[in-house]
Amino acid sequence: MKTQLTLTQRQALKTLNFIGIMLFTLVVFNPVYGQTKTNSVSEVSVNERTIKGIVSNEEKVLKDVNVRLKGTRVGTVTNEKGEFTFPKKLKTGDILVFSYLGYENQEIEIKKDTAFIKLVLTEDLIEMIGALDSAKPYKSKRKN
Amino acid sequence: MKLLRFILLFIIAFQANAQISDFKHINFKKADSIALEYKNEGLHNLPELSHKLTSQLNTEVEQFRAIYRWVCNNIANDYNLYLKNKRKRKRFKNDSTKFKTWNNNFRKKLFNRLLKDQRTICTGYAYLVRELAKLADLECEIVQGYGRVSTTDIENLDLPNHSWNAIKLNNKWYLCDPTWASGIPDPETNRFLFNYNDGFFLANPKLFAVNHYPLEAKWWLLDEDIPTFEKFLAAPIIYGKAYKNLELHIAPIQMHHTIKKHETITFKYQLSKTIKSEDISLLIDNGFNNWTTKPKSTSIKKKSLILEHQFKTIGFYDIHLYIGNDLISTYTVKVKS
Repeated sequence: MKTQLTLTQRQALKTLNFIGIMLFTLVVFNPVYGQTKTNSVSEVSVNERTIKGIVSNEEKVLKDVNVRLKGTRVGTVTNEKGEFTFPKKLKTGDILVFSYLGYENQEIEIKKDTAFIKLVLTEDLIEMIGALDSAKPYKSKRKN
Repeated sequence: MKLLRFILLFIIAFQANAQISDFKHINFKKADSIALEYKNEGLHNLPELSHKLTSQLNTEVEQFRAIYRWVCNNIANDYNLYLKNKRKRKRFKNDSTKFKTWNNNFRKKLFNRLLKDQRTICTGYAYLVRELAKLADLECEIVQGYGRVSTTDIENLDLPNHSWNAIKLNNKWYLCDPTWASGIPDPETNRFLFNYNDGFFLANPKLFAVNHYPLEAKWWLLDEDIPTFEKFLAAPIIYGKAYKNLELHIAPIQMHHTIKKHETITFKYQLSKTIKSEDISLLIDNGFNNWTTKPKSTSIKKKSLILEHQFKTIGFYDIHLYIGNDLISTYTVKVKS
């Protein structure tokens, strides 16, 4: 009797277990679906955001630095304080390209938590030289 | 075996041919007119400028052409800045700290000048071409090295003095010199004059090698006959106009010659355009007088030009070759008895 009961109990447990797993799956996986859905919704509303920032070199802020959304013509330039507010709302994964004559171009990817970009541009360390062409006919130096 | 050698030679010759003739089928009128159209764009928005110059063009070479022409048409050479830099570099060349500080400060000043006044020196041209090309997704490099012209003091040419560009088009590298293409200083006043010379655009690397010595050997774009620095300095002087008229400067490979009276000196060139033998003249200078004469013999077969000349009297002569009014090259000849 005891064993039988246990058997029935076991069977019942098995069924319960099965139902439990099913329920668990429902409970666990359903919200996952829900989450991704709500996530993609919130990405549009929360993650697409206005990005601000400040650009400088090693010494001071830089005015007129070009800030551009990669692959587009959308962009802006930094003001006298080196600050910019990007004119288009950006989402995670977007890339901003910073360019300024004499400095190395820099690409910054918008991460999940990016709201403000503080960027220091590095100079293009190039040696400046320059010889001009000349149309002056060559003249040999002569001793006399 | 002979056939194989022939094929091999053909392949090598074909590869060495990294130059404008690869693009014979392309007319640059559209690219050039786009470069003109945006004449008054400043340098404050390089991505936008690059876009404007290239977005209506479909081939890499045309896109690059528009950028190159824009830079050549709009950036002036700052002769005073060039002189000042030359002076300081010479003064500080044995003091590495001062040399570095000068270079750093000068670079800042130069970029400022470029941005505000659109004036610069070689590296500024090469830099701007590279930046605009890069923004258009073209692979472009600055080549640093030695440039040699008629006024170069070769006895004191110890520091690199020139910059130009290498550009990759359809997976092949080519050379161009935007600084020298943009114009030349007025021989009298030294004021810079815009005067575009198309000969420096994707020039034949072998002709380029006569007066451009890159610090990095890969930028010769030559498979063989890479000159040593000594050979480079010993080469004849060629002028900007040489790039308009010549495909190759073949012989002589040296500037200075010593010959006997009535001995023949031979000059060989490959032309890039058709000319007549009447167009050829030599301007000879013996230090007291100069006079224009015809070479003793002139032979033009298709694009091959061979000249021969002799001297009847001893002396030391500068020989300048002219095609029409274009000064092409200079040699010296010492004539002994």
